[in-house]
Amino acid sequence: MPATQPQPAGAPPKGAAIEAIDLVRTYRTHLGVLRRKKIDVEAVRGVSFAVERGQLFGLLGPNGAGKTTTIKMLITLLLPTSGTARVMGFDVVRDTTEVRKRIGYVFGGDRGLYDRVSGWDNLKYFAELYGVDPALQDQRIAALVEMVGLTPRIKEKVEGFSRGMRQRLHIARGLLHDPEVVFLDEPSIGLDPVGARELRQTVKGLVDAGKTVLLTTHYMFEADALCDRIAVINDGRIVAEGTGADLKSAVANRTIVEIETFGVTPDAVERLRDDSDVVAVNTEERDQSEILLVQSDKGAQITQRLMGLLGDTRIGKVVTREPTLEDAYIDLIARTGSGDEAARAASVSV
Amino acid sequence: MRTLHLVWAVTWFNTKMLLMSEFFVLTTFITPLIFATLAFFLFQLGGGQSGQTLLYAALGSGMMGVWSTTLFGCGGAIAWQRWEGTLELLVNAPTRYDFILAGQTFGAVILGFYGIGTTLLWGVILFGMPLTASFPLLLPFALFCAVLSLGALGMLIATTFVLYRHANALGNLLEYPIWLIAGLLVPLATLPFWVRPLSWVLAPTWGMDAIRGAALGRDIGTPLFAMLMCVVLAVIYYVLSRIALRYVLYKARREATLSLQ
Repeated sequence: MPATQPQPAGAPPKGAAIEAIDLVRTYRTHLGVLRRKKIDVEAVRGVSFAVERGQLFGLLGPNGAGKTTTIKMLITLLLPTSGTARVMGFDVVRDTTEVRKRIGYVFGGDRGLYDRVSGWDNLKYFAELYGVDPALQDQRIAALVEMVGLTPRIKEKVEGFSRGMRQRLHIARGLLHDPEVVFLDEPSIGLDPVGARELRQTVKGLVDAGKTVLLTTHYMFEADALCDRIAVINDGRIVAEGTGADLKSAVANRTIVEIETFGVTPDAVERLRDDSDVVAVNTEERDQSEILLVQSDKGAQITQRLMGLLGDTRIGKVVTREPTLEDAYIDLIARTGSGDEAARAASVSV
Repeated sequence: MRTLHLVWAVTWFNTKMLLMSEFFVLTTFITPLIFATLAFFLFQLGGGQSGQTLLYAALGSGMMGVWSTTLFGCGGAIAWQRWEGTLELLVNAPTRYDFILAGQTFGAVILGFYGIGTTLLWGVILFGMPLTASFPLLLPFALFCAVLSLGALGMLIATTFVLYRHANALGNLLEYPIWLIAGLLVPLATLPFWVRPLSWVLAPTWGMDAIRGAALGRDIGTPLFAMLMCVVLAVIYYVLSRIALRYVLYKARREATLSLQ
């Protein structure tokens, strides 16, 4: 990966908007109470990627894969244990102020706002902290509030805001100083479908406005619909990188047979896995049933055989379809993760 | 000018936030009245019924409240921000964090001094305390110097709160001993000699001396010297807090403690 030279403060930076080169981050924690034992946990183990200017880059991975730790290193909140990273050409360890001037970031969830004051007061305060010209603050805040659709409620206390409204307020906060690079860490977490769709439109609008966006999400269709490039991170390492089509191509020659079952036994699932034409079997637990996602290179022709292998299991709907990014993702996680993650990827509760 | 605007904006915002906390309002405005009432009765029992003694007690009680407010406003506010998840945002803003911390601290200290006002009013209304000052023109400057030095000390203490999530235990530990060591209620002369060097490095000692000197003193030299000490200590505290902050912020980034609750 080409590495750009660090730019002096104020100089127009060149090269990629975001570069991570062999980033490693280790946390030290303790076990026990009386006999405390120090242990080092490697959250990120040599992550490298580059995001071009104006690109929307997705970082996908299961919980604990190292997404948030990677983002926190890139936004200067955490020091890397080793490796380097640059944002708009500025080193995230040395040039923290220059990096901070150029980035906005939004973390998903309820925290990060002052609940007892109004949404407007929150934005006004952060506008001050982010160095927005006092003469322009009100105009800028009003425009952002309008953009995220909070105008009617913005003068109310944040403690009365729904999760979706909080999330929109977070986005407005992250854009107050018109940053060149925006980091969105699971921004759609907890949003209802309408809110999530509005958020996707907002994110798309950011890219249309020329901003570089690094997005982490659990929603594959979201990543597929929005991202120019996607990196899948698992167990602290990038296990795949490319466009959504690139990632899907790994499973493009496969067919997914979705079989709805009622009370399928682990033995029956194992029989499917042992079949020579079956590449992978993942199960999604539903309230009353299970969905078996069987990946095969043989197309729909093995469907009858699969149903035979399930024996006495009660079977509902059977659908054959093309693989999606989610199938590619689950396949990647199952192949590249540690034992626990592979097992989780193979058995997804819905 | 931009820096002053920023510090003012942070001060104003945090003052507003603190006034919305029932616990803070109680600490700032009610607790000093209870201290003052106790002190008035104790001084009366000890035979000190003169107006000057009552004013001495009222100012001391008010200052005790200021110190409590400083500890809570500086440390508690940071613990609160950590809990709300805003501490990371503040530390990571492109603005210098010491300016943000200064605004937060002075917001708390200024409110604390407002508590002195209510204490004096309490003394006048309930105990017939005369409201006189030996050097009335000096009194506002003495108050300003006391705010400055307590605010700077608050900043220094607050740096530990940024790093350690349980630092509020330290804040609680510092409350009562400083009341004693700084001579807020009991004159310093009554304390053992070895305590005095500790008193001399504490802002509340000189802040109290400056205010009491301006209100009750016989010569102007005492409050002037105390005011000078307030300014000197404020500069030392600020420099120390800048140095400490560099280390603390580096350590917080290295050890990932900012988001811990």
